[in-house]
Amino acid sequence: MSALFRTLRDGHGFDATLALLALAYLLVFSAFPLVYNILMSFQEVDMFSLASLVRPFVGLANYKSLFASPDFWPVIWNTVVFVGLCIIFQLGIGFGLALFFQQDFPGGSFLRGLFLAAWIMPALVAGAVWKWIFAGDFGVLNYLLQSAGLIDGKVFWLSNPQISLYSVVIANIWLGIPFNMILLSVGLVGIPKDMYEAAALDGANAWQRFWHMTLPMMRSTIGAVVSLGIIFTLQQFDLFASLTQGGPANASNVAQYWSWQLSFQIYDIASGSAVSCLMLGFVIIVAVIYVRSTRHEHRA
Amino acid sequence: MKRYILLALALLFLAVYLFPLYWMYLTAFKPSTETFVYPPTFWPGNPQFNFADVFVSKKMSSYLWNSLVIAIGTTAIAAFFGTGCAYALARVRNIGMDIVLFLILMMQVLPSSLMATPIFVIFNQVGLIATPRLAVVLAQAAKVLPLFIVLTRTSFMQIPKELEEAARVDGATRLGAFLRIAVPLARNGILVTSVLIFLQSFGEYVYSRSMISEESLQTATVGLMNFMGPNTTDWNGIMTYSVIYVTPILLIFVLLQRKIVSGLTAGALK
Repeated sequence: MSALFRTLRDGHGFDATLALLALAYLLVFSAFPLVYNILMSFQEVDMFSLASLVRPFVGLANYKSLFASPDFWPVIWNTVVFVGLCIIFQLGIGFGLALFFQQDFPGGSFLRGLFLAAWIMPALVAGAVWKWIFAGDFGVLNYLLQSAGLIDGKVFWLSNPQISLYSVVIANIWLGIPFNMILLSVGLVGIPKDMYEAAALDGANAWQRFWHMTLPMMRSTIGAVVSLGIIFTLQQFDLFASLTQGGPANASNVAQYWSWQLSFQIYDIASGSAVSCLMLGFVIIVAVIYVRSTRHEHRA
Repeated sequence: MKRYILLALALLFLAVYLFPLYWMYLTAFKPSTETFVYPPTFWPGNPQFNFADVFVSKKMSSYLWNSLVIAIGTTAIAAFFGTGCAYALARVRNIGMDIVLFLILMMQVLPSSLMATPIFVIFNQVGLIATPRLAVVLAQAAKVLPLFIVLTRTSFMQIPKELEEAARVDGATRLGAFLRIAVPLARNGILVTSVLIFLQSFGEYVYSRSMISEESLQTATVGLMNFMGPNTTDWNGIMTYSVIYVTPILLIFVLLQRKIVSGLTAGALK
């Protein structure tokens, strides 16, 4: 007993205890709900059986009714469009800004940091501001686009089912740009400067240097930023809540918001947990790929 | 000369990018008649200061207080459990610690909106929903704890092991060396990460919306959503509410931005 106490106080047991305390917290409040969620997705869960510990098992019925639902494939497709567009534009604009701020000029790093002001504010407030910018009759976006001659009439950004999803995409791109830019800047700093000097001596122009040196050298950073982008984009909830609430008629609904709606607004908790299981599985696969690829990086 | 052209361009990009923030502040200062003028004005002709009105009529003191309670509780739990774990992960490299780190990274990516369903059902069964703010704190702490560990770990890795070993030779226990040597030296990293976690939790929405039904316990995000409602017209008031809510966040961020940015970049890609 005293040997156990000694290793806890003075030996490796000390490190193990510290690590396991945090892990225990996460196992109780993250891993257990995760497993419980899988269990619930095979059960009948509604308002009546919510509080009971033993609920009837229904096998795959929840998933079957989910796949048969007319909303399922449109929502999944919206999710794919949302994630794809957000990542392409966040990465593109973020990369452009990162390259720009790579140059040496007074106040550069301070100004670059200020972009993160958008990232730090609560996404729900950002959603409120964008909802006002998007407003159909008095919104500033319609005014700016009209005075630039880009649109003729007023666009109803949030109530037109053909556009509402893209409005949320625009707001989310805005939120995600700074994080992408900062991570890509870190990657750019890692490229040795003398390589560029050598290439410039050999007569490579700026475009050739970007295409043949910067991009290949940035491959692992871009891979990391894209996987983190998928993970963070699938966490976006607040913008949907504040801008469109998935509407009109699910036109802008995505899986992570739909799952919440099913559970907390329609009280169809079994379906909510089935959607949630599918998405959590997907997020975890992306995360495993990301972690594995960054770990190989460090060993190499 | 070229450097100043670049600076001017950078300011232009920043101005375009931060235009939504400008629009929020501008609308908050406009009188409500001017808010609904088309074409809109880009400078308040007749600035109004209805901050106190909105603060009182929208019961912001109660909402902000609840957000503050949740943010403080979350940060306290994350710092308590996270600091030691980050230290252990920075000091020991073996297969066991690799597994712990892997599990922690996996739990960092779980979206709150998807975890809300099982957490609500479990908390409902064990009776935690009766103390909804505590329920939100426990759930949100699980969400941010991995990020706290990942970011703080990098500051512990920068402290030379020899300093602790010297203290151990002088008779300090592991716990003593950890609390008196390692933690004070990693203080900056721990503080900056705590601020980041605090700011994130101050704007928490999903769990608060899902688990707190009593209005007097709801957070500022939920209050803002209640204010917005389905047929919003009081944009002037909503932007005033938003300004009151985010100005402290933005001030803290601008003061600490250099440290927050360097902490993020050190931890995020590793």
